[in-house]
Amino acid sequence: MQAPFERPAPPAAKWDWEIEARTSWWGASLAEYWSYRHLLVGLVRRDFLLGYQQTILGPLWVLLQPIMTMLTYVVVFGKVVGISTGGAPPVLFYLAGIVLWNLFNDAFTGTSSTFSDNAHIFSKVYFPRLLMPVARLLGYLLSFGIQFGFLLLLLVGYWVFTPWRVPPVAGLPLALVALVLVSVQSLALGLLFSVLTGKYRDIRFFVGLGTRLLMFLTPVIYPLQHVAPKWRWLMELNPLTSQFELFRWALLGQGLVTTGQVLYSLAVTVVLFAGALLTFNKQGDKLMDVV
Amino acid sequence: MADIAIQIENLSKLYRLGTIGTGSLRQDVQRWWTTAVRKKADPYFQLDANAKGSTQALWALQDVSFEVKQGEVWGLVGHNGAGKSTLLKIVSRIVRPTSGTVRGRGRISSLLEVGTGFQPELTGRENIYLSGYILGMSKVDIRLRFDEIVAFSGIERFLDTPVKRYSSGMYVRLAFAVAAHLEPDILILDEVLAVGDAEFQKKSLGKMREVSQSTGRTILFVSHSMQAITNLCSKGVWLQNGRMKAIGSATDVVNQYLSDTQQSNLHQSWDAPATAPGNDLIRFKKVAVVPQLAALDAPLDIRTPLTVQFEFWNQTDDILISTSLVLFASSGECIFDVPSTAVVCQAGVVRGECTIPGNFLNDGSYYISLFVVKDTSVALFDFENCLSFELEDYRGDIKWYGKWWGAVRPLLPFRLTQVETAVY
Repeated sequence: MQAPFERPAPPAAKWDWEIEARTSWWGASLAEYWSYRHLLVGLVRRDFLLGYQQTILGPLWVLLQPIMTMLTYVVVFGKVVGISTGGAPPVLFYLAGIVLWNLFNDAFTGTSSTFSDNAHIFSKVYFPRLLMPVARLLGYLLSFGIQFGFLLLLLVGYWVFTPWRVPPVAGLPLALVALVLVSVQSLALGLLFSVLTGKYRDIRFFVGLGTRLLMFLTPVIYPLQHVAPKWRWLMELNPLTSQFELFRWALLGQGLVTTGQVLYSLAVTVVLFAGALLTFNKQGDKLMDVV
Repeated sequence: MADIAIQIENLSKLYRLGTIGTGSLRQDVQRWWTTAVRKKADPYFQLDANAKGSTQALWALQDVSFEVKQGEVWGLVGHNGAGKSTLLKIVSRIVRPTSGTVRGRGRISSLLEVGTGFQPELTGRENIYLSGYILGMSKVDIRLRFDEIVAFSGIERFLDTPVKRYSSGMYVRLAFAVAAHLEPDILILDEVLAVGDAEFQKKSLGKMREVSQSTGRTILFVSHSMQAITNLCSKGVWLQNGRMKAIGSATDVVNQYLSDTQQSNLHQSWDAPATAPGNDLIRFKKVAVVPQLAALDAPLDIRTPLTVQFEFWNQTDDILISTSLVLFASSGECIFDVPSTAVVCQAGVVRGECTIPGNFLNDGSYYISLFVVKDTSVALFDFENCLSFELEDYRGDIKWYGKWWGAVRPLLPFRLTQVETAVY
């Protein structure tokens, strides 16, 4: 027998990476996420460009869609059914609700199919999987930004041309709080459901049905103050409720919200998001065998 | 001592078979109950070798271990379903192994498919950036190599046209161009060179060679072209049913693989005339193709001279017999029909032998029929498809890997001479 010429590498030798059977709770390291930042921007850009490819009106649809929904609501709920919007002008009331609800609805539905939609890419190349849903969310936030800008313009218009008064500007940062909480909640639910829809495709139908039902449990088309007090607890269980009320209170000065409810919503959001993120990372790699 | 770039240790991967439906939810609940609540072994997914034959699971990889040193180019060979792609997917971090570890140093880029992340609606320019990002390039990398990528792909005029309007050839060229300009420490390639036309294949293989030789990059490479493997790779692994069958220098591994897989029928013989193929006049005793090889385990390639030997029982006295050797390509096309000399034979055993020289046939599969004739005009017996063999390609120094044309590839005296030098 000949003595081997090569000795095994010294145990102190450091490896750059290691792949094992165990999946990690953390997904990728922060440094790794940072190295993929260009991909994130590229994906947001792709989603945005794709949404309006080969359309005549292009990105104008970002505004047209909520405006048309708002007009429908004003006519149906405001005029025909006669649901009160509290003190706020119906146009502003519905638009504020629609814009925030669209963000939640789109981001949740859009991210909940992450694995089934991207199976063809995920099965061919590695990058931190979290980039895909985050890029989706950022894309919807971009649309939201444009719609929100339009809402602010309308607000100023109403302030100048009608006797209606806007609430103090100091409340505006609270709208930001609502925005952050709603987007994090939508992402968290999306991550959680993407794992489920990746394995069991039927869950997709629940997502569609669930969001539609949830909309009626959230004060989108009616103010919370018009809900009979004995049912309000049910509404307040929904962590989205206080955010919609807060959003409208900050912008239109009309809403029913307490600090306690906001803190409750915050706590739910944090717990939900942490759980969703860990599940997504832990289950994501295993899902690649079945998607 | 060269640094180890990838260390693969006892790697195994088990896939569950069957579809996911209502039944699988019940299974999932059962698995969760036994493993998480009762802390017992997984009823459906046991990590023992017995699972191999079961219908529930399939070992795509089993106990694979090897080390890749920095700068080495490794080729993976094996049949479809042998586990080559699974191995690449695990090393690329796309799927997790069931057990075992892969450790490595340096940045990995994997190219398991040409055009991953291409978005048909976007323009060529946008797709170069997007697919570059997906493959792990930075914005600066892409910007630096943008012109090079465009020049390599040859689609300058269509840069701002959506990729969906490209011809499939242009699409593939652009996609490969992006990938070819990746500069990771470790590159993982799965059969990506099999796309595009012959000219583009040549160009991409040239690029591959340049990348592997000049920059000392570590490459793991899967291909069904043995020619490409022996030319590009220094080391090789042969996988069969998820296990390592051979490991060593690329040429050795490829030779072992080829001689194992050649679908040949090189030898047939019969003990008694009663069971032998034939008729009342002629019965075959033995047919054989005997390759004249230097080594026993070497594969048959186009350089190998082949001797066809046969014996038959002749039942008639004083009969003028001749035999034709008819060689067919796998397509059924006849390559040649060579008659023997005619000989007057008595009842008994008659032997024939004919040598097909080396460096004469093209690579491919062939089969032989033997046709026995009386008085050089009357058919006695046609022994159809009695032998078959396969010839591997061999090209020596020729750096072109497309399919070689022609039914034959004879080595003819062919010389180039310079008769005049230009004076400027």
